[in-house]
Amino acid sequence: MLEAPFDPVKLAVPFFILAILLEIGLGRLRLAKAEYEARDTLASLAMGLLRGVPALLTAGLVFAATVWAWEHRVFTVPFTAWWGWVAIFFLEDLTYYGFHRLSHERRLWWAAHVNHHSSQHYNLSTALRQTWTGGLVGTWILWLPLAFLGFSPAQIFIQQGISLVYQFWIHTEAVGRMPAWFEAVFNTPSHHRVHHARNPRYLDRNYAGILIIWDKLFGTFQAELDAEKPRYGLIRNLGSFNILTVAFHEWIAIARDLASARSLREVGGYLFGPPGWSPDGSRDTSKSLRARWAARQATASTPAE
Amino acid sequence: MPESRCWRTAAISIPAILTGLIPSGIAVLVLVGLAALARLARPTPPLDEAVALSLLGDDFPEVPIDRIWLAGDGSAALARSGARALYLFRLGDAWVARDLAWTDAADAPVRDGRLHLRLAGVSPRLARPVLAGWPPEPA
Repeated sequence: MLEAPFDPVKLAVPFFILAILLEIGLGRLRLAKAEYEARDTLASLAMGLLRGVPALLTAGLVFAATVWAWEHRVFTVPFTAWWGWVAIFFLEDLTYYGFHRLSHERRLWWAAHVNHHSSQHYNLSTALRQTWTGGLVGTWILWLPLAFLGFSPAQIFIQQGISLVYQFWIHTEAVGRMPAWFEAVFNTPSHHRVHHARNPRYLDRNYAGILIIWDKLFGTFQAELDAEKPRYGLIRNLGSFNILTVAFHEWIAIARDLASARSLREVGGYLFGPPGWSPDGSRDTSKSLRARWAARQATASTPAE
Repeated sequence: MPESRCWRTAAISIPAILTGLIPSGIAVLVLVGLAALARLARPTPPLDEAVALSLLGDDFPEVPIDRIWLAGDGSAALARSGARALYLFRLGDAWVARDLAWTDAADAPVRDGRLHLRLAGVSPRLARPVLAGWPPEPA
């Protein structure tokens, strides 16, 4: 099946709007924590609103590649088989984990993803601060194995939509913690607050989409600590609400770095090294920030002689 | 949050997308208006020295501050740490920090009482704070 019978994201749009209204209302009535800054909210929602326009540039290629992969599939998973939906739920979520980790740990893909983390706020509007350049960096290739396996383009599309809709509601400070069994298995507002935090302890943690089990399995899980409130945003926060700056600032920074590169090694490092990579190591990466934070923690906990 | 990977959009015409953007755009403006009316921004009172040092400490945790200059309206601060200058400024209801060479800060021109500070990074490229006690006296 090529054409999806429904689009979970389109169906969820009224829910997105109502949920944001509810969060604002609860915040106004002081019944829940919700912080909104109008220009920040406008930037987030405008990024979400306009994301489909640049996606048109690559939509045809993505569609053609996925159909080609499906036409060369190893198995055929019937669209109506219940086991197929169970299988794609786990496989798509694992794929998402890989995509998300790549998007944080390698600069080319970080450049496409960074805008989602560029708000210093964490509310439901932040969830809609979507990438404009994801298609250009080819992350969609990561989903092609699902089509090779035999899942139809329509089924992959629907499961991606379900994942996106699920991840909307976890972008909030209005929800503290879910029941322990839920926190143990699923990605939750608490887990995802950690992911959006720039505290060294929380950097590059909790890449999960729907299931947090992948982070626990691959060693990237960090629980939210009551003693350390998340500080949201980037290591060096953006100084603008301009959506063009939000969308393209890291691309501009990469272009500047490439212009100053003196060797192929430096070109490779600037493109495929971790965000913050520099030839002389003078810039901070998540790894170096975490290491210095850990050293400070160790020093602080060492009794004075 | 996953990015848009919608291959269905291949079959969607550009006029149809533009038509869909109009009601969505109106919804966005309504939500932003309500967010503004609800007054849910964080309080960001004018900086004093202690708060400025604390905020700089978040961004530059291992950097000792030699001296700090505050903007008269409390919207910015410039600090010296050896050969580095650290600049902090308000953006909406949050704070943003940048660093640059101290010599660049010390040599930056002052026009109409405003320091014209060239910043690294994509945005902003120029900051123009009015700092109390600036310029520093030559050592």
